[in-house]
Amino acid sequence: MRRTRLASEGKALLFTLPAMIPLSLFWFYPLGYVIYLSFMEWDFMSPVKTSVGLDNYRYLFDNPEFYQTLRVTLLFCVGSVLPVMVAGLGLALLLSRKRKGGAIYRTLIFSPWVTPTVAVSIVWSWIYEPDVGLANNVLHALGLSGIRWLEDPNWALISVLIVTVWKSAGWSMIFYLVAIGNVPPDYLEAAELDGANGWDKFRHVTLPLISPTTFFLFVVLTISSLQAYDQINVLTQGGPAGSTRTMLYFYYLSAFDAFQIGEASAVAILLIVGCVALSLLSFVIGRRTIHYS
Amino acid sequence: MHQRSGVRLLSHLFLATVALLMAFPFYWTATSALKTNDEIWQFPPTLWPHAPLWSNFADAWAAAPFARYIGNSILVASVIVVIQIINSGMMAYAMTHMSFRLKNAFTALILIGYMVPVTAVYLPGYIVLSNLGLLDSYAGIILSNCVSIFSIFLIRQAFLQVSHELVEAGQIDGASHLRILWTIVFPLARSSFAVLALITFIEQYNNYFWPMLITKNPDLQLVSAGLRSFFVQGGAYGLKWPLIMAASAFTILPLLVLFLLTQKTIMQSVNLSAGASKG
Repeated sequence: MRRTRLASEGKALLFTLPAMIPLSLFWFYPLGYVIYLSFMEWDFMSPVKTSVGLDNYRYLFDNPEFYQTLRVTLLFCVGSVLPVMVAGLGLALLLSRKRKGGAIYRTLIFSPWVTPTVAVSIVWSWIYEPDVGLANNVLHALGLSGIRWLEDPNWALISVLIVTVWKSAGWSMIFYLVAIGNVPPDYLEAAELDGANGWDKFRHVTLPLISPTTFFLFVVLTISSLQAYDQINVLTQGGPAGSTRTMLYFYYLSAFDAFQIGEASAVAILLIVGCVALSLLSFVIGRRTIHYS
Repeated sequence: MHQRSGVRLLSHLFLATVALLMAFPFYWTATSALKTNDEIWQFPPTLWPHAPLWSNFADAWAAAPFARYIGNSILVASVIVVIQIINSGMMAYAMTHMSFRLKNAFTALILIGYMVPVTAVYLPGYIVLSNLGLLDSYAGIILSNCVSIFSIFLIRQAFLQVSHELVEAGQIDGASHLRILWTIVFPLARSSFAVLALITFIEQYNNYFWPMLITKNPDLQLVSAGLRSFFVQGGAYGLKWPLIMAASAFTILPLLVLFLLTQKTIMQSVNLSAGASKG
């Protein structure tokens, strides 16, 4: 009896190995390692790592560049997450009713999401070209003066955000379409019988019922905007004057450009803490909203 | 009633405008790719080139090893899809239909991993890969991407719907767990596996940051990194926009085609991924 128990235990473990080995190697071990590195001073080349306690963190918070990075990160998160959610919801509301051409609209609006970020960012850098690019041509046609989109510190972040929102709006639209489709029609009919107009129905029936989706999107989009790299790398490389340098980009530069491994690891830890906090929040609230519906 | 149809027309007009604006960058890529270097600098810009220069595509294709880049992307993405189907299937099966003492510990560990942003561990991951001697190799790119916590959750969610009695019936018939997994449970969850395959393929085909970090050899570059180096070097940063647009076009096109062919599955993935993340 004990033997068969042991055998089945062993079999189950064997089933987990193909996933657990790479996970340990490329996920769990690096996670522990980056925590360790964040307390060390190391330049990547030298054989010795010196323990410096919390100095890497202290150094970060003494560094005005890091505060700029935090500001850019916050602006990037707010400037991408909110428009993506609002656009997704608005488009989903318009498309939720069956209408001619609905499928075509949906396909066109969603299509940017599947394309490679690097390739479409290159296309956008052509659109942003200051002399003959499409964006400035449109501005000229409207009688406005052109903008040096990617070279002006006041516009670079906005330019990157436009690409980011363009790419993800359709994605959040699909989530909202599913959520709106799941709103029971009797609720809406009942509200209508009570004399509710379109806005009331949206405000008091649809919006509360799709709130789990709203919350899910908020968390997922925030986490993914904290990890945005490709479009920044192609369009601005964090410039000009650091105006598009997010925490992740700062992390990458201090690790692979400046070889400040300890400082870079400290940034990574802050990023991880932020994402874990957001995920935990979503689990807690998710449990509640599941009860609710 | 009259007002109603007016509103309807307006919302149609609005949707059509938005849809066209969203798709316009693709149209612009294609037409810019067909222009001569003179025409592309013309003001005002032409919506359709005077004399479409189809040879730009051939020139761009020849200007950098794009066949190699695209081949690399397809190879790496396909192998990763196959491995992920196997290890996610086995892991999810163990988590849902087998009992072992470490089950809760493993589930908790994976849940923790799910919260950690993958980009944050790129630095230590790079060091691990370099210690294993796997930098600059297909094996390195494939192995470091061969497991996805999202995929495990996705399949786990599907396997939870499969009744455990089916598994037990299989065991009574003397089938091994491997056999039960691939002949009984797998077919029942095939739509989730289709989603996994498609999403993983697109993600890995487009993958840029991590593969670029761990490979310096141009022969190993995936298509995004290859296109980017063409943009910086061969395209001389904007001096040859038509060629750059042609190269972007044939990088983007396969994915748009794939999307048009598999729209249903991709959109369905949204539903499933919302479910998977609820844990």
